[in-house]
Amino acid sequence: MEAGRSPKLPSLKNLVGETLWEVWFMALKLTTRLLCAAAMTVVLAAGAQAEDKVVKIGVILPMSGSTASIGAHAKAALEVATDIINNAHPELDKLPLAKNAGLAGLGGAKVEIVIADNQGSPATGQNQALRLITEEKVVAILGAYQSGITLTSSAIAEKYGIPYLTPESVAANLTERGFKWFFRTTPIAPDFVRIYDEFLTDMKAAGAKTDTIALVHDNTEYGTSVANTITKGFKEKGRTGVIDVAYAVNATDLQAQVLQLKEKKPDVVLMISYTSDAILFAKTMQSLDYKPPMLLADDAGYSDPSFIKAVGKLSQGVFNRSSWAVGPAGSPSAVIADMYKKKSGEEMEDTVGREMQGFFVLVDAIDRAGSTDPAKIQAALKATDLKPEQLIMGYKGVKFDEKGQNVLASAYIIQLQDGENYVSVWPKGNAEKAPVMPYKGW
Amino acid sequence: MRRLLWLSVLSAVAIAYPLLLSSPFQQRLGALVLLYAIAASAWNIVGGYAGQVSVGHVVFFGCGAYAAMGAYAKFGLSPLFGIPGGIVIAAALAAVIGVPTLRLSGHYFSMATIAVAETMRLIVTNTDYLGAAVGLSGPTVARNIFDLSFISSLPYYYLFLLVLAITLFITWWMTNSRMGFYLRAIKDSERAARSLGAPASRTKLYAFMLSAALTSVAGALYAMMFGFVDPESGLGILISVKILIMAALGGAGLLFGPLVGAAILVPLEEISNSVLGGKGAGLTFVVYGAIIVLIARFQPGGILSLFKRRPKPGSEVGAPHAP
Repeated sequence: MEAGRSPKLPSLKNLVGETLWEVWFMALKLTTRLLCAAAMTVVLAAGAQAEDKVVKIGVILPMSGSTASIGAHAKAALEVATDIINNAHPELDKLPLAKNAGLAGLGGAKVEIVIADNQGSPATGQNQALRLITEEKVVAILGAYQSGITLTSSAIAEKYGIPYLTPESVAANLTERGFKWFFRTTPIAPDFVRIYDEFLTDMKAAGAKTDTIALVHDNTEYGTSVANTITKGFKEKGRTGVIDVAYAVNATDLQAQVLQLKEKKPDVVLMISYTSDAILFAKTMQSLDYKPPMLLADDAGYSDPSFIKAVGKLSQGVFNRSSWAVGPAGSPSAVIADMYKKKSGEEMEDTVGREMQGFFVLVDAIDRAGSTDPAKIQAALKATDLKPEQLIMGYKGVKFDEKGQNVLASAYIIQLQDGENYVSVWPKGNAEKAPVMPYKGW
Repeated sequence: MRRLLWLSVLSAVAIAYPLLLSSPFQQRLGALVLLYAIAASAWNIVGGYAGQVSVGHVVFFGCGAYAAMGAYAKFGLSPLFGIPGGIVIAAALAAVIGVPTLRLSGHYFSMATIAVAETMRLIVTNTDYLGAAVGLSGPTVARNIFDLSFISSLPYYYLFLLVLAITLFITWWMTNSRMGFYLRAIKDSERAARSLGAPASRTKLYAFMLSAALTSVAGALYAMMFGFVDPESGLGILISVKILIMAALGGAGLLFGPLVGAAILVPLEEISNSVLGGKGAGLTFVVYGAIIVLIARFQPGGILSLFKRRPKPGSEVGAPHAP
């Protein structure tokens, strides 16, 4: 009774109030520190510029928000790439820039990446592009993962005349804007059409039936635009038996779609899906006992390590598109896969591989330009002509057309034969194993 | 007299700002502050003065953004031509939404507006005419000055400043009109206001429509500056929340509250993102969130209420109310 009334015990309200005041002062301190740090960066940027031994490249990535994990992986990949460029790596001597330390064309200058968070917002991406160009004085920008953000941030680079390279955004309209400073190394939807068409032709020659094709896709920008391009492209190539099966992204139930497939009995099912939907499809197919003769996936969810962990064993024999394949031990891609695993703890996959490849292409151009003058880098990018053996990805080379698109971008077809690891099965020249038909499932 | 002095100092600072701080990033920061101040001031009309906390204001923001980009992408016109269209659509939509939802009070009204905003985002995501998930882009290379596609942020800055001045003037004029008195009465006690003959439903609806129209202008300006709109950036619920927080932080129901809120939060967000963003782990949002929590805890009436002493007789704005 008395203890309860004791005036010496501070009331809960006061206690909470005092703690909050402390937090408030800490926050004030932090804000001050932040402002100091901001000022420091500006000063440091000026210092680095004067030294001229460091080449700064801006990188815009999603470091927060729903796609933050991709940003974190890409960051690790770019750090590995920076290490390869800045330090001597004689074991990778086939790759440009790896053999010696730094950029030979700029007197051994080192490369530094300045990463900016796009927060998944086109507006933030554009603000950060402006900051990278005007405050950090980067000589070129790499970015920005989401196509919408690449669209807005590259517009700033175009206005300022700074080279902008996207290693992974696939939206078709990006290279249709008449930009002079924009370059893209990744394969895009028309390339997918060509790859699938050639693959299916080869599979038909080997005895598989490929007349009717079901396109299963979500309603996101990625799903709809890729499905539309494939439908149109297949029609032009005389493949008329295309069935369209759409669903809402992040679906909770896909039985209707699987039953539709079961009824239509297509020869090939082509999946254009993100991870969670890909996993649900695999489970639903098993529960409804549906196995198409051939299941072909368009990268995305099917390349995600968590897809393989969750339902790899239910998806044995699924084909997938990927520009990344680990070569034999000692090959550049195997060495890099190893370095990446040490850095991030994850297996290397297509998305981070394309990110790294784009970075190498950009830095190679800066090296050949022998200057940090944007116009010279732009000219060097236009003159880029890399051969397949100089790349880590399965492109047929890197050469830009007048729109800035890499015309030699390509991909392999890989297959999840044992349910645990993808092996490359097509084209023949790069195949580790022969493709196995029909689809085994579980 | 004092008030006039402060006002002229404020205007002088606002006009001189981009000339004093001439780095492109600082100028853009200034333009962004003004842009968000326009949106937050527009929200303030219904959220602050009428006390109807709409969390779905992004719907009207999106109307303006899509109208501006649509004018260019669909008709090849200057995005400027989209502004009147956006205003009409936003006001009409506000009437349609407002008639049933303004009858709801407190949290129920907020929840209804969230539902409307999310529904709209899903509809647009599945409408091919509006670019579906891909979105609509503006002119990439300006054809003429009316495309409002500038390298420098200066033209944007002064354009936004002009629009903000108009928005604040409309707000000020409204608060001194009969409607403003009705709104304050309704905010204090809707039942009492009704019993004294104030037309509560109609007044709230007009405030909602006016607020929607001005928000759509902010949306149109936003889309013009960034040259792009997609369902997430034009209709994402987070934009509403940001606008609301700015108004609440500065002082909801005060004329300059939203401007003060925007002037604090926009630089805070951009600078903390610039310094911490590249490190990953979303530290930006931690700092941002912490400051909001602290203000909500210690100064729930908004920062401006710190400077507010006893309301003088005849002062134009009533004392702010703690929620």
